[in-house]
Amino acid sequence: MKFLEYTPLATLNSFLGHVNLGDYIIEGDLEAYSCKLAGIDKKLSRNLEQEVLESFSVSPQELATSPVGPLSSSASRKTLIYLILTLNHMYPDYDFSTLRAHHFCKEKGVAAVRQTIDNSLMETGQVWARDVGDSTSFLEALWSAIDEVIQLVDCDVYSYKSDHDGDPFGEKGAIWSFNYFFYNKKLKRILYFSCRCKSKLALDEASLSSEEGFSEQEDEGFVNDMDMDV
Amino acid sequence: MAKADPDSAVFRLEEAIANLCQESDGGVTQKMLQDELPDIPLEELGSALNVLLSRHQLQMYTQASTLYYKPVNQEDRVRFRGLGSEEMLVYQIIQASQNMGIWTRDLKLRSNLQQPQITKIIKTLEGRRLIKAVKSVASKNRKVYMLYEIEPSREITGGAWYTEQEFDAEFIGVLREAVKKFVENQGKVTLEEIAAFVKSSGATKVDLRLEDYQQVANTLVYDGEVEEISEFDPDEDADTTFYRMSPMSVPETNAFTSIPCGVCPVLHECSDDGLISPATCVYYQEWLQF
Repeated sequence: MKFLEYTPLATLNSFLGHVNLGDYIIEGDLEAYSCKLAGIDKKLSRNLEQEVLESFSVSPQELATSPVGPLSSSASRKTLIYLILTLNHMYPDYDFSTLRAHHFCKEKGVAAVRQTIDNSLMETGQVWARDVGDSTSFLEALWSAIDEVIQLVDCDVYSYKSDHDGDPFGEKGAIWSFNYFFYNKKLKRILYFSCRCKSKLALDEASLSSEEGFSEQEDEGFVNDMDMDV
Repeated sequence: MAKADPDSAVFRLEEAIANLCQESDGGVTQKMLQDELPDIPLEELGSALNVLLSRHQLQMYTQASTLYYKPVNQEDRVRFRGLGSEEMLVYQIIQASQNMGIWTRDLKLRSNLQQPQITKIIKTLEGRRLIKAVKSVASKNRKVYMLYEIEPSREITGGAWYTEQEFDAEFIGVLREAVKKFVENQGKVTLEEIAAFVKSSGATKVDLRLEDYQQVANTLVYDGEVEEISEFDPDEDADTTFYRMSPMSVPETNAFTSIPCGVCPVLHECSDDGLISPATCVYYQEWLQF
């Protein structure tokens, strides 16, 4: 997957990387890739292709339909592979190679997704207006940049269904999140847009405890002491 | 770095330092070296140490916030040949994580290195078979690394109950049935007898520990199928735990759970004239639609 350089997108990505909303922060990721398999991507793609074909030969009915299309078609398998590779590139601390088609879902369309995103990012837009002080609103700038890169009219939109367990959407302090893959088959490009809202309080606690151990420890003690008043 | 002229003072200094490290059990601190070699200026000492470190003749480690230098054995010298200080730092951090491994994000935090550097270093170390990636059942998608030769701990692999990162419910089911039948036939058995029976029956090729059998027995106890009793055993001359079939099993449903009130989450907020009342109860509406 080749990372696509585009300055307006990079500006937005940099702004979204850390947006301070008072008690919360937004960690956003907005990057576009060209669906060209290079180096280690090729190896992963071959392994995935092989695994999917093997499980297909064992139970063909299961794979007749999937969110990315019938897995009997190589185009659907390619779509799945691009989605997985994009996640691997976006989050290098994680390895999504074990994901399969049922971990994703196909969204109804750009319009519905756009509405969800616009509603989620209202406060973010206010911060942009205050800090960047441009005449264009945040949402205008966002969608015009996205459209330049990916041409929304020809896009299929997918989303990764996180189980919030050991992936970036279930990290400490996570309150809500969304993630969307805008896949333009004609242009052979994928644009990934995700925002994770985290609680500042939880993150402060996490940074205090991580000085001791290698990874976060579950604070179960205080929950066990909570009593339901009967 | 080319080796210094054997007759030169620098070479003799390096030899002296290496020998002192060798002789001292647990390595030497800089202060100890200064005490032993009082005529050598600190600068020369420092540069000699750096040379020895870069040649992997010596390595550094910290204990109780003191820096020690100790010799590297011949085997390791070959393994670490050509590795820079950043690679060694990453190696040492991974080494410290022992059989639990360390997540790449924690690795970045501890080493203060950036993602592209870490990616490159990990690739180098993996290529040399010094480290390996492991999959943890607790955090399935995280990239975790540990030293190549170390066996991952049971927490990571899931122990006996996980086959290839997947929870093997079937296997546990088979074991439970076998244990239940055994208890039924024998009347009263100890955990050791259960373990011996299952091993000999060949129900599993995997070598299970006593704790694993305890876990299986516990699931049967919690399900009310098997009972745990503590009795005085004349053979052992002590109280031992026995397992036998439950005289009374836990019923699937009873009167309390069969009506909505029995399992109502807002039972304590329900009153005749409140927002939540029997008259407006949605659960009853649902329940009566049969």
